[in-house]
Amino acid sequence: MIRLDHVSWRRGRKDHAPVLSHLSFNVPQGGFRWLLGPSGAGKSSLLRLLHVETLPSAGRMEILGQAVGEQTKRAALVRLRQRIGMVHQDYRLMPDLSLADNVALPLRLQKRGEDEIQTEVEAILKWVGLGARMGVSAAHLSGGEQQRTAIARAIIHRPGLILADEPTNALEESQAHRLLDMFAQLSAMGTTVIVATHNETLIRRLARPALVLEAGKLVADEGHPPA
Amino acid sequence: MTALFSKRRDGLSLSEALPDRSLFVLVAMMGFLAALTLAGASGAQALAARWAAGAAQLVTIQVPDPDQPASPPGGASLPAPGPQAQGNGPAADQGTDQAAPPPTVAAPNAGGLPATLPPEASTGPGAPSRAQAVLAQLAGLPPGTEVHRLSAEEISRLLAPWLGASDRSALPLPAVIRVTLPQGAYLPPTLEQNLAAKVPGVIVEQNALWSERLHSLANSLLTCAGLALLTVGGIAALITGQAAHTGLATRRDIIATLHSLGAPDGYIAGRFARRTASLAFGGGLVGALLACPPLLFLLRMAAPFGSMTPTVDSPDLTTAPAQAIMASFDLVPQGLLGGLAALPVAAALICWLTTQVMVRLWLRRLP
Ligand SMILES: Nc1ncnc2c1ncn2[C@@H]1O[C@H](COP(=O)(O)OP(=O)(O)O)[C@@H](O)[C@H]1O
Ligand SMILES: [Mg+2]
Repeated sequence: MIRLDHVSWRRGRKDHAPVLSHLSFNVPQGGFRWLLGPSGAGKSSLLRLLHVETLPSAGRMEILGQAVGEQTKRAALVRLRQRIGMVHQDYRLMPDLSLADNVALPLRLQKRGEDEIQTEVEAILKWVGLGARMGVSAAHLSGGEQQRTAIARAIIHRPGLILADEPTNALEESQAHRLLDMFAQLSAMGTTVIVATHNETLIRRLARPALVLEAGKLVADEGHPPA
Repeated sequence: MTALFSKRRDGLSLSEALPDRSLFVLVAMMGFLAALTLAGASGAQALAARWAAGAAQLVTIQVPDPDQPASPPGGASLPAPGPQAQGNGPAADQGTDQAAPPPTVAAPNAGGLPATLPPEASTGPGAPSRAQAVLAQLAGLPPGTEVHRLSAEEISRLLAPWLGASDRSALPLPAVIRVTLPQGAYLPPTLEQNLAAKVPGVIVEQNALWSERLHSLANSLLTCAGLALLTVGGIAALITGQAAHTGLATRRDIIATLHSLGAPDGYIAGRFARRTASLAFGGGLVGALLACPPLLFLLRMAAPFGSMTPTVDSPDLTTAPAQAIMASFDLVPQGLLGGLAALPVAAALICWLTTQVMVRLWLRRLP
């Protein structure tokens, strides 16, 4: 469950104009939302906010049942981040780690057993088509490979919320469709999914409600259209 | 498939950063400095302890012409003419009250009586010698005091280095009386004046004053050493803080990613702290080991002056190296050995703490 109530966010100090202003919307658990809008509308900023990489400057926000604000304890925020999977637009892989170690990170931070970690990592990397590239350093991967690695890292720990920032722009169409089918499946199994994209064919392929941003404001919420 | 998973678990790659290696070298240099400072402190402490324990309580009294009668019939032969004696009259009075010696000389009851003609002086051959008079005075010192008049043989032995083995029966040797006071006791302040009045020419050498001076000198050396160690520790903390900061700044993005994946502050701080602590432990160890050769050399030179090595001669490093080194270690005071062993641990602790604080503060910029 995600709830935003007049959430604003600005970069840095108070004198900056807000990047996101007065966003109010809900996404139920297991809901799927497209996040649409022109470049610079604030899609990436909103996803970073939902990933708790930054805190709201104003308003109230609740993610997976956890209220998020200046008063929230750091330990609670840490636990919350471990329940979210995020695919960044720029992937954010650890360049010094192998592909397998990158994907294993969320499980290692949760202190899972090494045997379990290796089984899970192998399975998910086979699924994204990188089973033969496991030992390769992340710095030596192509853009598409990096994106698939980032996707694998975002879902390996079965998070309650998946956030994906243009997750298919480096993928071939068939791979993009496979990924989309998986997101739909995860959503059906109870994971909340929010995907920011410009890809029209993708949106047409999976008919789901969209949140539409323009200049930092929510101009349409198809999940809860204004009464 | 196991080989595909490396030992690098989180991509911080702390072992590959250059600033960390310079931390090792800097800590080694500071460990070296700290080890030498520790040696200085240990030496000063040993000095202070020795002087405090022994020499403070030792008083040496020299009595020239010991066998002359205590009060010569004529004042001319000795440098104690009337005026001085008169001047000492009241003081002598005080002295007899305090130390209560047998009233052998200078009965001052009849204040106007000339000091050159004390009653006992006129009693003939039974009169005590000057040495005996001094010993009689010393009988009134606090209980537990040891008074020992050196025998002629002991004096000869003392003088041998200066006079050789020649016959020196002709030399007019003074009597030497060694007084060892019990702990905490002092000579009555008037004793010296008293003796001078009754047995003119007596020299009282008291070590207490020197001992106190040396003691406070040793103490200020210790304080300096402590300050130096504190400074070295402070510099170590500053350098570690700087290294941690550099390490954080060059990994800004990686740490932000790790943080966003749900790594707790304690995890990231712990990784950095363990790294700097192990570097500092290594650096401290190397520094302490590097300080050992110069320290052993210094200690060998100092050994003859110290009481800590009564039997061990300076080991000859050319004949049996292993044995010599073992013997060398006997020269090292236990306290210093402990300090040297604690050095790497202290360095590691300082760096661990500094890094923990630095990294946790730095992470506060992330929510
Ligand atoms: N690194 C940055 N520094 C300053 N402004 C930025 C930065 N990234 C984005 N912005 C600004 O923040 C706003 C929202 O950007 P972003 O969230 O990336 O939008 P989108 O993902 O929809 O393209 C835009 O006005 C953009 O110019
Ligand atoms: Mg964007």
